[in-house]
Amino acid sequence: MMPGAIKRRASRALVYTLLVGVVLWLVGPFIWLFVTSISYQRNLLARPLALIPPEITLDNYRMVLGMLRFHAEGQAAKILPSMLNSLVVAAAVTLVNLAVGTTAGYAYARFRVPLKAFSLFALLFTRMLPTVVLIPAYFLLFKALGLQNTLTGLVLAYCSFTLPFTVWIMKAYFETIPADLDKSALVDGCNRLQAYYRVVLPVSGPGLVAAGAFTFMLCWNEFIVAQILNTKLGMTTLPPVIAGMNAQINIDYSVIAASGFLAALPAVLLVLGFQRYLVQGLTAGSVKG
Amino acid sequence: MISLVVGFPLVYSLWMSFADVNLLRTTGLALEISGLRIPFFRYVGVQNYARLLADPLYWDSFWRTAYFVGAFVVETTVVGLGMALVLQERFLGRPVMRSLLLIPWSLSRVVVGLLWIGLLDVEFGALNGLLYKAGLIDSYISFLKSGFSALNVLVSVYMWNQAPFATLLLLAGMQSIPTELYMAAEADGAGYWQRLRYVTLPALRGILFLVLVVSTVNGFLMLDLIYMLTMGGPANETTTISWLGFQTAFQFFKFGPGTAILYTLTVLCLILTVVYHKVVFRKLEAEEV
Repeated sequence: MMPGAIKRRASRALVYTLLVGVVLWLVGPFIWLFVTSISYQRNLLARPLALIPPEITLDNYRMVLGMLRFHAEGQAAKILPSMLNSLVVAAAVTLVNLAVGTTAGYAYARFRVPLKAFSLFALLFTRMLPTVVLIPAYFLLFKALGLQNTLTGLVLAYCSFTLPFTVWIMKAYFETIPADLDKSALVDGCNRLQAYYRVVLPVSGPGLVAAGAFTFMLCWNEFIVAQILNTKLGMTTLPPVIAGMNAQINIDYSVIAASGFLAALPAVLLVLGFQRYLVQGLTAGSVKG
Repeated sequence: MISLVVGFPLVYSLWMSFADVNLLRTTGLALEISGLRIPFFRYVGVQNYARLLADPLYWDSFWRTAYFVGAFVVETTVVGLGMALVLQERFLGRPVMRSLLLIPWSLSRVVVGLLWIGLLDVEFGALNGLLYKAGLIDSYISFLKSGFSALNVLVSVYMWNQAPFATLLLLAGMQSIPTELYMAAEADGAGYWQRLRYVTLPALRGILFLVLVVSTVNGFLMLDLIYMLTMGGPANETTTISWLGFQTAFQFFKFGPGTAILYTLTVLCLILTVVYHKVVFRKLEAEEV
């Protein structure tokens, strides 16, 4: 009995040690970003480095939000407007996705779509496709259409690579809803469209939340497309602005960390808030991340 | 509609890879629809591809990409599986741990790059600070200075961002393994490693394959972290195919050669899609039987 008990206790200890390691690995870097964002640069440069900051300051945030003047305030002043741009673009793309992508997902799940096998393959391919390969085409098309440096252009471009995800997630979700549900609605006198939005959609909440939150997160975080298509400061989203600050040598890391933390917070909160649905929806649709 | 939004840019980009794209001279043949003018440029046949395949820089990037993808896939699978096995154990606060998994994954790659700069920088990096404090190093290390070390840093940082998603998929898979299997194995006197080898891993085969394919594609396409951390340097030593294409197209504005490079990548992804598609549909057919 004794060796068994010791062995069990040892394996418990091992599990908890490994757990601590995993937690540090997952969260440590993110917490450090926050710590640097409330530190003075001079304390980050000190050797030996103090892991608990000797002085705490909100100056970095005040600089980023335009409440404190400093040498790169021109760039920092773009943070709030570009955050708003990010929000507008991400929200618009999410709405389009939920309206169009969901309906297409339903069609795939329930009907005999012409060329179904081929179009499913095409859908899968667009999910695996390098987005950058499309950007030269968008660049010239948007130039012709006058959509360069506009939020509309960005919304259009984002829809093209988020829609396949939404269709895929929703198709997988609708397939978990028994088709008998639609059939009984049809028997009760609904037409197909009514059956869809009166009966099927109301029970699809979790799938919709998963697809919506995922789309929003992708758009909020997207960098490369926005960086190329919307080069004008003030007409672009948050990630390119932060990357631009990072490329400049005369801005303190602590200040950029503050803007980085502001960019990270909405995505993290959104994902944590909807985690249950997201995990369900994404594992069902097994999406590339 | 999706096929139009994605299909047209895709075909237009393909055309550009066979053309001499001069952005300053857009006269000549063009597609004109109601005042809209989409230039076609001069067709030059396979010239862009021929030059590309004769360029040693392309082949250097090719082999570097192969190393990058291989290392990334191995790290993601091993760490992803490792974390899943730890989190599968019974312990206090298990639901909280699953939320923490989503944090690295939900961050914009701009923020991911930014926060790893905070850990690895040669002047203020916290990891340097820790190693220095522990007396393991005499002076701060410049992790991104040598090409090979920089490439491996990129692999690991990307893995930090992506492995949690693999863990989520694997955890979902582990939960669907019937407990009876484990009880039977235990009754037969199987230890932890034997249960892992003969029960868990065989049951996860499908999901592991999915993780492999998805991380291979993601490895080929990675761009934003290179932008944030190394810009392809030092001396092109972290230049992968996707970075080379990005640089050619959008920093040197050579759309012809740039799209040609990106199209070689697209073909690779197409092949991977075919593989993935085969497996997904074989699984579907098996379920229907």
